[in-house]
Amino acid sequence: MMIQEDAHVYERRRVLYGVIAAVFVLFLGRLYQLQMIYKDEYGRKSEENSIRTIPKEPVRGNMYDRSGKLVVDNRPAFTLTIMPFEFDKKNIPLLSSILEIDPAFLRDRLKRGEAFSRFQPVKILRDLSFKTLSAIEENRERLPGVDYDIESKRFYTTKAYASHILGYAKEISESQLKASNGDYVQGDIIGSSGLEAVYERTLRGKKGAEFSTVNVRGQVVGSFNKGKSDIPSVAGQDLKLTMDFGVQMLAESLMTGQRGSLVAVDPQTGGILAMVSKPDYDLNVFSGVVPADTWRDLNNNPDRPLYNRATLSRYPPGSTFKPLLALAALENGIVPPTWRIYCNGAFRFGNKVFHDLHVHGSVNMVEAIQHSCNVYFYQVMLKVGLDNWSSMGARFGFGRLTGIDIFEENPGLLPTTQFMNKRYGPRGWTRGFLPSLGIGQGEVGVTPLQMALYCAALANKGHYHQPHTVQAVIDKVNGREDTVAYTTRDIQIKPEHWDLVREGMRRAVMEAGGTGAAAKVKGIEVAGKTGTAQNPHGKDHAWFIGFAPFDNPRIAIAVLVENAGFGGAVAAPVAGMCMEQYFYGRLVRFDGQRPKAGGAIAQSQPAARTTGRN
Amino acid sequence: MLAFLKERFDHRLGLIALGLVVTGIISVYSAVYDAKASDIFHKQLLWVSAGTVVVLFLWAMPFRFMQFISFPAYFASLAMLLAVLLLGRTVSGSTSWFNLGAFRLQPSEFAKVTTTLALAQYLARSDVSLQKFGHLAAAAGIVAAPMLLIMMQPDLGTAVIFIGMLFPVLYWGGASRFTLLSIVAPMVAAVAALFGVTPFLIAVIALGALLFITRDHNIVAAVVFSTTVLVGISVQFIYDGLKPYQQKRIATFLDPNADPLGAGYNILQSKVAIGSGGLFGKGYLHGTQTQLSFIPEQWTDFIFCVPGEEFGFLGAATVLALSLGLLTRGVTIASLVRSRHSSYVAIGISGIFATHMFINIGMALGLMPVIGVPLPFLSYGGSSLLASMSMVGVLMNLYAHRKEY
Repeated sequence: MMIQEDAHVYERRRVLYGVIAAVFVLFLGRLYQLQMIYKDEYGRKSEENSIRTIPKEPVRGNMYDRSGKLVVDNRPAFTLTIMPFEFDKKNIPLLSSILEIDPAFLRDRLKRGEAFSRFQPVKILRDLSFKTLSAIEENRERLPGVDYDIESKRFYTTKAYASHILGYAKEISESQLKASNGDYVQGDIIGSSGLEAVYERTLRGKKGAEFSTVNVRGQVVGSFNKGKSDIPSVAGQDLKLTMDFGVQMLAESLMTGQRGSLVAVDPQTGGILAMVSKPDYDLNVFSGVVPADTWRDLNNNPDRPLYNRATLSRYPPGSTFKPLLALAALENGIVPPTWRIYCNGAFRFGNKVFHDLHVHGSVNMVEAIQHSCNVYFYQVMLKVGLDNWSSMGARFGFGRLTGIDIFEENPGLLPTTQFMNKRYGPRGWTRGFLPSLGIGQGEVGVTPLQMALYCAALANKGHYHQPHTVQAVIDKVNGREDTVAYTTRDIQIKPEHWDLVREGMRRAVMEAGGTGAAAKVKGIEVAGKTGTAQNPHGKDHAWFIGFAPFDNPRIAIAVLVENAGFGGAVAAPVAGMCMEQYFYGRLVRFDGQRPKAGGAIAQSQPAARTTGRN
Repeated sequence: MLAFLKERFDHRLGLIALGLVVTGIISVYSAVYDAKASDIFHKQLLWVSAGTVVVLFLWAMPFRFMQFISFPAYFASLAMLLAVLLLGRTVSGSTSWFNLGAFRLQPSEFAKVTTTLALAQYLARSDVSLQKFGHLAAAAGIVAAPMLLIMMQPDLGTAVIFIGMLFPVLYWGGASRFTLLSIVAPMVAAVAALFGVTPFLIAVIALGALLFITRDHNIVAAVVFSTTVLVGISVQFIYDGLKPYQQKRIATFLDPNADPLGAGYNILQSKVAIGSGGLFGKGYLHGTQTQLSFIPEQWTDFIFCVPGEEFGFLGAATVLALSLGLLTRGVTIASLVRSRHSSYVAIGISGIFATHMFINIGMALGLMPVIGVPLPFLSYGGSSLLASMSMVGVLMNLYAHRKEY
């Protein structure tokens, strides 16, 4: 059947024509209404009623130390912006001379911002100086499209750097921008190291937006919808740290001029009280614009200030490892605590002679720790063997990551039979390696952080806490503190064995003839162990680990000073002074007078030298 | 020779299509008239050239060609829709694109045409009657298959177009009022439900009455009615399952001030652009709304604002007149041709064009919700333009062979 034979086809065609015509009449009527009747109203609206979004940056979260003292907050800073469609590119030379920047840099920033939107201000330069600001003001008329935003920059309230813990937040880089999945735009600030990076999501807060009405020339004529549609920014949350900035500041000043590291932890929680890695750098450098040459200097400095020695650097632990060996011997029932040897200052094993610094005479285990007798521990190590020794080391967290919340860390190296077989071949190494390992030399490598935690576990008799710098996250709005949870692991060791080793460490500081006497603190019983780690590349590294008070320890410290010689002379006084600061809130050994920065080590040396042994 | 051409070439359709294509080129050029977007304009020119070749090619094809390729092309489209779901590229939340070097292809645009051909092929069979439930169901199935695949992308706008094609074809084929009502009723109930309980109840009562009047079988009428009610009730659940941007669009249609920077902003700015055009417009390339990019993605969904703002009432009315001309010409061709297949195809194509134009222009004028469908010939987009031009090519072919069957 042809369609035309259907009797209704013309009727249906009429209906369809009708429907189509009806819709178009409706459209035409609407057009007439919009364009003829309401023309003036819409014409006016098109002159003025266009909406522009101005992003509102959230205020970054603050940081407080353990006592609630504000240590990191924000201060206002002026950021120069350019509205691309208003800006005349002929003004680039003028503007870049005012800002004292490279015109190519300005052109590049502008181009990248423009690619995003010509109607969004592009951030050009942060943290304008007052001088620059007034120069811009003077030339305002000649520089259409140039404006500034009030933003915030990081401000550090104390003199302490704490560079490697706090870290810095800086303007987002190209590669970070690509990885951010659209959460950031060019010119945003992003935490890039330390806690600023780890807690970026917590600290950053949420961006808001302000909507304003702009006219055809893009000039703001008022706020849109009386500001009712604006989205306020949400400030970032605050961090409450475990750190004691008094100790941090003192430790930094004591270590000034050295290369080395100090880590102090609270043995009851694993909270970091202080963490110093020297040389360090001033975080204020990163709070505004980072000049390229500053950045280059930091990166190229042979002493690597950006590198966190406390968690990344491996050092042989030296004699500070002797308590660990003693525990391995006692726990495995290999050597009784009463076992004595006669130290004549050297120990022959095979055709090799291992030396001691002194002739200690007849010593038992407590005395061997107290006097740091090498000969004693050479022999203990040979009895204990590599496997027992390294399994005790593993129980104290050596050779593995500690899980600290600033993430950046090195597991160190704890030699095992497996490792030695792999490195030297099953027949490539002999028991001749053992005596050196027994006194913390040779292949073994530890970080100062691991040493502080080892010391804390000796202090609290076997509670190995996950180290951390953040106690709690504080909600700015309701003030609620959310405590961050960390893990704890127990090291099972017989109480009498703890007592014995700890007694050796107590005597090393407190009794005549102890190697760590320089760590003494007035009125408080301190225990500790010195170490001097041989270094194939130069002068020995000085170690000290110590804790106090002896009966109920509240601080455990590990100090390492590179190429500084004897641990007892160099590292122990630093630890002692930090303990004083922690317990008394000031230094008591110099009658309350603060030693000059960097001078503390030198000052304390004469006193220490009399007892200064390995 | 000239007489032969005159006999076979539908010069009215040709002129209307030419007018629309030229308007499109002018509008897209203005919408992207700043340095960064000239690439878009050049691509659009390329697509116009390719489209012209397609029109001429389809026009020159032998009469049986359309019937011959109907089902193969239909199944090829289904395969492409499946493939795009699995392999396609996601743009603003929906997976509907194939990448072909610098160009992107949208299979759903072509599925509209091939589905029309297949539906027409099926309905043109002498043993198929629209009075039979089984045949109706089969016809609905032909349309539902690509539609569902497109809804899964999800691209609701393009899916709606298929309804806009099916409905006039069924009407043209003589489907009963009850059948036609059954298709519309659930959709009306759904839209009414979005506005609230009272509009929903009023719609349900009205639809129930209409279904009752037009019914042949009580049971069928009851089933359709319950389906309608059920669809209306489940709208809330469907709404919750929608993507946030789709929810936003619906919410904005109900209250354009709810989202001043999203879809509501678009409607507002679109109305401002058109309204401020006045009688003669602000002049080509002088539309402040257009040139200052206040309407996001104006070169696609909101292209109608360009003639509206820059050429005013006269420009917008010209576009309306050309669109009206295209639609009536399609219906006229449907009644001119002798072959049932040709007739159905012509109606289906007119239905597709009509749905696009009604939704898109209605949206720009603030009469319809923001549903992302392009305005044929005017919106930037290669797939859309090629599809529109190939539909013109098909209409040309049908006209050329109008006396055969």
